Amino acid sequence: MSTTRSVGILATRSVRTIQRLPSAFFPALAMPIFNMVVFAGTFFAVTKIPNFPTDRSINWYMPLGIMMGSAFGGVGLGFTTIRDIQTGFYDRLRMAPTSRISLILGPLVGTLVRIALMTTLVIVIGIALGVRFTGGVLGVLCLYVSALGIATMGAGWGLGLAFKFKDMRGAAIMQLSIFLVMFLSSAQVPLDVMSGWLHAVARVNPATNILRLARVGLVNEANADHLSWNSVWGGVVAIVVMCALSLVFALRNLRKLSN
Amino acid sequence: MRRKPADVLRQFVALSRRSTLAIFRQPALVGPSLIFPLFFAALGSSSFSRAISLPGFPEVDSYLQFTLAGTVIQGVLFGSVTGAAALATDIEEGFFDRLLAAPTSRTSILFGRLAGSAVFGAMQALVFLLALLPFGVTVEAGVLGYVSIVVAGFVIAFAVGALMSVVALKTGSAEAVQGTFPVLFILLFLSSAFFPRETMSGAYRRVADFNPISYMVEGQRSLSLDGISLVAMSQTLVIPLTLAVLTTMLALRQLSVRLAAR
Amino acid sequence: MNSAPIIAEQLARHFGEVKAVDGINLTVNQGEIFGFLGPNGAGKSTAVRMLTTLLRPTSGTARVAGFDVVKQADEVRRNIGVALQDSAIDPLMTGFELLELQAVLYGIPSNKMKQRAEDLLERVGLTAAADRRVSTYSGGMRRRLDLALSLIHAPVVLFLDEPTTGLDPMSRLTLWEEVRRLNREGTTVMLTTQYLEEADQLADRIAIIDHGRIVREGKPSDLKRTVGDPTLLINVSRQHSDAAKAVLARFGDMRPTAEGTLGVGLKGGAERVAEVVRALDEAKIVVEHLELNQPSLDDVFAEATGHRLEGADNAPQAG
Repeated sequence: MSTTRSVGILATRSVRTIQRLPSAFFPALAMPIFNMVVFAGTFFAVTKIPNFPTDRSINWYMPLGIMMGSAFGGVGLGFTTIRDIQTGFYDRLRMAPTSRISLILGPLVGTLVRIALMTTLVIVIGIALGVRFTGGVLGVLCLYVSALGIATMGAGWGLGLAFKFKDMRGAAIMQLSIFLVMFLSSAQVPLDVMSGWLHAVARVNPATNILRLARVGLVNEANADHLSWNSVWGGVVAIVVMCALSLVFALRNLRKLSN
Repeated sequence: MRRKPADVLRQFVALSRRSTLAIFRQPALVGPSLIFPLFFAALGSSSFSRAISLPGFPEVDSYLQFTLAGTVIQGVLFGSVTGAAALATDIEEGFFDRLLAAPTSRTSILFGRLAGSAVFGAMQALVFLLALLPFGVTVEAGVLGYVSIVVAGFVIAFAVGALMSVVALKTGSAEAVQGTFPVLFILLFLSSAFFPRETMSGAYRRVADFNPISYMVEGQRSLSLDGISLVAMSQTLVIPLTLAVLTTMLALRQLSVRLAAR
Repeated sequence: MNSAPIIAEQLARHFGEVKAVDGINLTVNQGEIFGFLGPNGAGKSTAVRMLTTLLRPTSGTARVAGFDVVKQADEVRRNIGVALQDSAIDPLMTGFELLELQAVLYGIPSNKMKQRAEDLLERVGLTAAADRRVSTYSGGMRRRLDLALSLIHAPVVLFLDEPTTGLDPMSRLTLWEEVRRLNREGTTVMLTTQYLEEADQLADRIAIIDHGRIVREGKPSDLKRTVGDPTLLINVSRQHSDAAKAVLARFGDMRPTAEGTLGVGLKGGAERVAEVVRALDEAKIVVEHLELNQPSLDDVFAEATGHRLEGADNAPQAG
């Protein structure tokens, strides 16, 4: 009961900053939209490659924009936490007789609310620019699950690094690692279109599975990656495992803060 | 106050030296603008190996060969943000005022700063050319082609550096200069730096047709794929030079605005 | 078993080779205001962080409000209030929102929350500013809000970490008054400070920490008495400095002072000042300035640590 209330109030604090500090939220909205638009434009012809899963480039790059935005939005929680640690505000939270889990879950829930808002906005703009869902409501749901999943993963990782480093070194590691994980995947083209080293790396990168899940409702119905149990379970497993690992990482490093 | 040309030259050289060294002494700032373009080139060569046979692509052996020009321009564009951010930091930290308090020529302060960026731009171009060489990426136009691309790196960095300096001089904030980064990023992607204009359609195509970056990239690309031609040479060198003249004028004007406001 | 609200036994914290706190013993009694004094880096913040469950001790134990700070951290947290330094407030939130956050984190039931927050705001005189963002608050207002935050759950023990650093004299007096009032109502207070006057004014007992060890402990009046003789401070021109030192040494032990001033613990007190002046006069030493200071906490501090704390006063950062 008290944990639930703590989670709620900490989430409220996090969401409130959207309205209090819109200049900080704006880039988080703009980046996925720009990514979607410029990738879809510059790689317009990529869908003409034989066996490409969709014939609309924006169908392919909208989920990428959302996933990049979610991943960076997730580690963004690490940024704000570094600031809280440096100002001493985090000491205040740590001194409260509330469960350590709520110190993590509260801000996480707030972050997820922001990610859900961002995802919704990008989907609306995407549809205006030509996105067509092929997988119906279930497909849209899969996109949200992937976005929230990768944001949770990013948030756990970002929090853990924030607790570990307590300064901007942590932030640099967060950004670089997320950047690499996101791009060394099926971000730009599907696995069977790639060749060489990237194929080898992307095949074992969990982000590839999660991106496939994000796109199940957007690829052609005839494609193997279209909404089906086969195309979904890999992403779900990847999300569950990666989120669990990253949250354990965050919790462990939170406890180590008093060492 | 009249100054002897020799003095102005000496001041310019001293300030150029400082700004060039400053760039090379900050590997954390310089590194990304060398590494990221190569990373994207490597990523593209694996991702788009099957795209090069699409209609609209020129005859190339590999996507890497195609993307050489895009890599150079990308690196130089992003690298020149660093130099301008350093100018803004100078303003923030008061070094700029110290220079102004000295009987230093006003323009050499600006040109000295831009020279650092330009030297770095030329070096980036050279690094990219050499780094891709082992992967069979060559410049068909030969020595003159290599030299032209390196010179283009110098001029583009100067031109973009001057443009960024306008922001630096106007705001005096390094953060504001860094904030223009997404604009460059978008401009680059709305050009033919990564895929040919012939493969684009609709509004994207029209934007890319208007985007001067497209023509600079295509000039270098033609030098690299087809060999020497008057069109390629002028696209590679004349467009950046024209831009450099325009942006330098803007920067000088902003400099005098800043000086007048003191 | 001893039921004092704060008991530390051989409490130590090492950071690698550095012994930030090197085995301290401390007892703070029920209803006391206890002053914890020390220069920056002496270990007082580290000690307080251990007592407030933020940092784990390397060795030794501490019990606060009757609970072990490591094994019963949550119970300790429930019973202590901690006023932190002024930046530890989220500038984007309003005073009321911060109180609300604090109330939830401390498990105050929803139906009592609003009343409690309003009472506290009134108590610290922030009712009118309750719905303004903290970023618009003055330094004094922030400290008062901070105090209100630390009181949300009516703690048994209150830790105040440099509560008045950087405040103007008026705000300082207001805060002192509030601390005294809380203390009268039964709250035990542990106060860390760099201001000797603050400790002198507020504290029933003090401890001086230096290089991680407690070097003096007791009532301010008792401690001052141990230093004994008043300090005679004399300024002479530079060329007379050594000669003056030789003369002064005949009247007592030389004491550490600010650069350019000579100080001696004057045996026999005020009545011997005339004698000193005559002796200096006979030695043809021109006295530029002379004053006699009764022992202060600063003298206690200087005697205990070999250096003075005052003067470090202007540095507002925490130790």
